Amino acid sequence: MMGTIRAGAIIACLVLGLLFTLVSTVGVLRLPDIYSRAHTASQADTLGAGFAITGVVLSLGVQAPTIKAVLLLVFIFVTNPTAAHAITRSADEEGIEAWTVDDDRSDVDLAADAETGGENA
Amino acid sequence: MAYEALITDAFLAVAAAFMLLAIGMLYRAVKGPTTQDRVLAVNVIGTNTVVVLAVLAAGLGETSLLDVALVYALLNFLMAVAISKFTVDRGGVL
Amino acid sequence: MSSKRILVPVSETSTLRETVGYAVKEALDGARSDDPGLVRFVWICSPQTDTVTDEQKEAGEEILSRASLWATEDAGDHEAELTVETAILGESEYIFSPSDVAALLEEEVAASDIDRIVLDPEYDPGIGAPLLRPLEVELAQRTNVTVDEAPVERATRRVPLLRQTSAAGVGVLFGTAFVFYQILNGAFTLFDLVTGTMSATIVAVTLARVSLNRRPDSGMPVRIVRGIIYIPYLLYEIIAANLVVSAVILNPRLPIDPRMTRVRADVVGPLPTTTLANSITLTPGTLTVRVRGQHLVVHTLIPWARDGLFDGSLERAVRFVFYGRGSMAIPSPKERGDTEVLQPPTEEDGAASTDPQTQEDTTGGAE
Repeated sequence: MMGTIRAGAIIACLVLGLLFTLVSTVGVLRLPDIYSRAHTASQADTLGAGFAITGVVLSLGVQAPTIKAVLLLVFIFVTNPTAAHAITRSADEEGIEAWTVDDDRSDVDLAADAETGGENA
Repeated sequence: MAYEALITDAFLAVAAAFMLLAIGMLYRAVKGPTTQDRVLAVNVIGTNTVVVLAVLAAGLGETSLLDVALVYALLNFLMAVAISKFTVDRGGVL
Repeated sequence: MSSKRILVPVSETSTLRETVGYAVKEALDGARSDDPGLVRFVWICSPQTDTVTDEQKEAGEEILSRASLWATEDAGDHEAELTVETAILGESEYIFSPSDVAALLEEEVAASDIDRIVLDPEYDPGIGAPLLRPLEVELAQRTNVTVDEAPVERATRRVPLLRQTSAAGVGVLFGTAFVFYQILNGAFTLFDLVTGTMSATIVAVTLARVSLNRRPDSGMPVRIVRGIIYIPYLLYEIIAANLVVSAVILNPRLPIDPRMTRVRADVVGPLPTTTLANSITLTPGTLTVRVRGQHLVVHTLIPWARDGLFDGSLERAVRFVFYGRGSMAIPSPKERGDTEVLQPPTEEDGAASTDPQTQEDTTGGAE
């Protein structure tokens, strides 16, 4: 029924998917500000989801539901960056500054600064 | 035959692992500090949920879960855009 | 206040005739032959596609000449008391939003010493968004001239979302909807085919004027094929860059150097710009935060990603998809001088090259 190569490919896809999603989670927890977090949230996560769903597509093989999985894949690749763009743009509109290496403020300070800046304006 | 069982187990294990990662992401959703951080975290949790649904569809052979995943992905995107839009006073995001 | 110098932006509308009449009447009010009133008609190019075509420009010139003809006609015996001017604006710029239109009109106001703007109630330069109200607000903020709508007897039809459509547009939408329906259905039974045809017809007929931004043209299949060629390249870029960024994030020291940058991309139009912005966001290390016409504000996580962005390989690939192989051979944004780091390193880092003014720019958009 299922060849060794195909089983290996499915497992590889799932492992890679898990790995990149792990990177994305670590990134969102570790990185210093909203903009940097959006990087891993939109990209590593998209690739992780992409690999995992590719595994699903491989295991389903050629049948009607496979097209839905492919559709899901395309959809995630189009919407995830757009969502990240919308989120960071709303952060930018609120006046939250991006953190740089020579900035000694924490993310909480940056958020507070944006709030007071908004009151003054 | 042996491969089939192995693949099914792999799918279920991956689904569980994705759930764990989503729980890790909850820290950012609770902590913030900005609304955008929370939206971002919830968006990632949503993407993980979509993946879990798809993986379960393959693992359990329930292909109807793929329809649920499609709708969930749509709603997840809509949630991110809608909240981003309404956190800004003037609107105008996207 | 005598407001005899009037600016009228024109476009192809059913209320243009009455708007011209109103503007002329207002300009003549109080004008004398030694101190004539002025009506200046301007037509704004808005390239929906890649560049302004000669055809579009001809259409604009046609509208302008018609408007000035009407103006002389309305002036009648008072022709000597009225000066009529025409101009085409925005040929070299990409007009994207009401504020772009307002900026162009603001320049005109200053250049021609205008003291009043008369707007056609159905004015639409073709930027594909509801315009009139935001434009009035923008103009009131930017200039101190009077802005008013011409009081015209307008036809009741006023739904700005709708655009012109064609049989091809309905056909394309029908095909897409039908295929999508069958994909979601999975089974190709007679029942599915019949219900699919019915729902796709309803969708195509009711929504063709809303959902298609431009008419399908003969270039569409070619662009789709080139888009399919683009996907593997994009996937390769995504995976390669993801490996680099993953290494950085999993590194215990977290060696990141995030900075905001601004790039002027040499792609024009809603769809190419969206494709480029989404591709930039998908490639790890770079994230599009803002798009203003051709200007992209991009947050970059590591210097490696910043160099990649400034080398413009993605920009070249997007140009290939939309404009063909010939247009790929352009200088990179770095060579063109279209790049700018908005948060340059401070003195302590020993690499202060840009003036500190740019540091302010990052917050500029949020005021």
